Amino acid sequence: MAAMACTTAAASTVSTPRLGAVSGVKTSAAAARSVQLTSAFHGQSVSSVSHVAALKAAVTSKRSGRRAVVVCKAADGQTVVIGLAADSGCGKSTFMRRLTSVFGGAATPPKGGNPDSNTLISDTTTVICLDDYHSLDRYGRKEKAVTALDPRANNFDLMYEQVKALKEGKSVEKPIYNHVTGLLDAPETIHPPKILVIEGLHPMYDERVRELLDFSIYLDISDDVKFAWKIQRDMAERGHSLESIKASIASRKPDFDAYIDPQKQYADVVIQVLPTQLIPDDNEGKVLRVRMVMKEGVPFFEPVYLFDEGSTISWIPCGRKLTCSYPGIKFFYGPDTYYGNEVSVLEMDGQFDKLDELIYVESHLSNISTKFYGEITQQMLKHADFPGSNNGTGLFQTICGLKIREVYERILEKQKNAVSLEGAKS
Amino acid sequence: MAALTVAMPVAGATMATSVAFVPKGCFSIVAAARMAPIKIKRRLSVVVKASPKEDIKDKIPEAIAEAQKTCEDDPTSAPCAVAWDNVEELTAEAAHQRDRNKANSDPLETYCADNPETDECRTYED
Repeated sequence: MAAMACTTAAASTVSTPRLGAVSGVKTSAAAARSVQLTSAFHGQSVSSVSHVAALKAAVTSKRSGRRAVVVCKAADGQTVVIGLAADSGCGKSTFMRRLTSVFGGAATPPKGGNPDSNTLISDTTTVICLDDYHSLDRYGRKEKAVTALDPRANNFDLMYEQVKALKEGKSVEKPIYNHVTGLLDAPETIHPPKILVIEGLHPMYDERVRELLDFSIYLDISDDVKFAWKIQRDMAERGHSLESIKASIASRKPDFDAYIDPQKQYADVVIQVLPTQLIPDDNEGKVLRVRMVMKEGVPFFEPVYLFDEGSTISWIPCGRKLTCSYPGIKFFYGPDTYYGNEVSVLEMDGQFDKLDELIYVESHLSNISTKFYGEITQQMLKHADFPGSNNGTGLFQTICGLKIREVYERILEKQKNAVSLEGAKS
Repeated sequence: MAALTVAMPVAGATMATSVAFVPKGCFSIVAAARMAPIKIKRRLSVVVKASPKEDIKDKIPEAIAEAQKTCEDDPTSAPCAVAWDNVEELTAEAAHQRDRNKANSDPLETYCADNPETDECRTYED
């Protein structure tokens, strides 16, 4: 197999891909200091990664010109890039933690770096906060009277350059936006990971960045729920009152609707969080109705469905086989159009109270990309203390995590096949 | 390069006066150079590190008061939106810090995150 030849040849030239990177960098020291050509990977001791790592080691040695032993042309897009859009600073942390947990390993800020860094790194995943690409810091924005939501406060050229570089396997020096001081700190080095997640307000705003994304998610919180959540979060702060929270949401709304909201149409999955329909006049925001709007025709992604793909199903699992407490659980699945795209919508209203309910629901969902029966339930239980663990937000975030894993594995598979095809041809 | 070397001592001198107000001009020079202005950064980070939690918590009531003042005249103006955006940024960061502190409150957990192979931290999962 040509792929095997690639691995063995690369292995003979470099003991580990990481060391190969060091020698590659030395010979090309004349290259730009800010962009280093390295093949450093996170967690690359697993054998399944050796193919991709070996390819990159070979590419590195080819670039250095010294020992171009084997030229294995890899398919483009070695790093899988996921975009996540939502409005609440860079700590869609619950979503991130669920996501990184699906891949294994906790994501932590880079050790030994700036303590106010927004980046999270785990074995397989690196999460970059797009606030780091602000072109104006807090004082600059005040001066020019633009909010952080405004595209004028963000450097999309730099964002595109760096995401492209990471996707191609090059390390970048990414600026840091310090949320505490409101200033732009000195940059930190980001090495290309297997999976790169860019989260922030504008992952899908710029067309070039959109092209680089392999999968994109938009978290759409309705105004009522946003208000309820902000009250829970901010009432503890001194100085905040109900009126000030209301005023804060209302004044950001015009910019939000103009710049952030339109990204919904480009997302592959939109998770909408709405107030429940099971409890009339509920304004606590504890019981939620969550809809997962999944675009049809996205490469490597198959929407989740209930019972029969493409039909419309309304399902209340509580009954004879399963007893639920008030207000119960209600599911809906059906095809729809969303901003001119064909979509499938899976909706859950209500709360899980017991393990039984969770496993019952999981066993009736199809195309959930689990590797074993009960994986979703296990993931939800693992993080039972996270907010949303008992309702659709946790469920759909976990499902998104599994879908991303599937997209990643399928892209990897495609690259492997492309390489072996190249080898077979030559 | 020559222009930059002149700018650096100037930046250092201004840093000596007050750390709270970073002249925006000097920072943009430094940021463009990417020369990792350690001196400046160290000073700034010393101040921030001294009491980060109080910093954010104290900033919030001030920011809210300022936002309410800015919005008195015209609630739909751009400076009003910017002021409330600031408040939102600060409260979000305070909330994240709270979560982070909660997550880091168990010393065993933080130790085991770095040393999973030690006896106290081994987990047995099939």
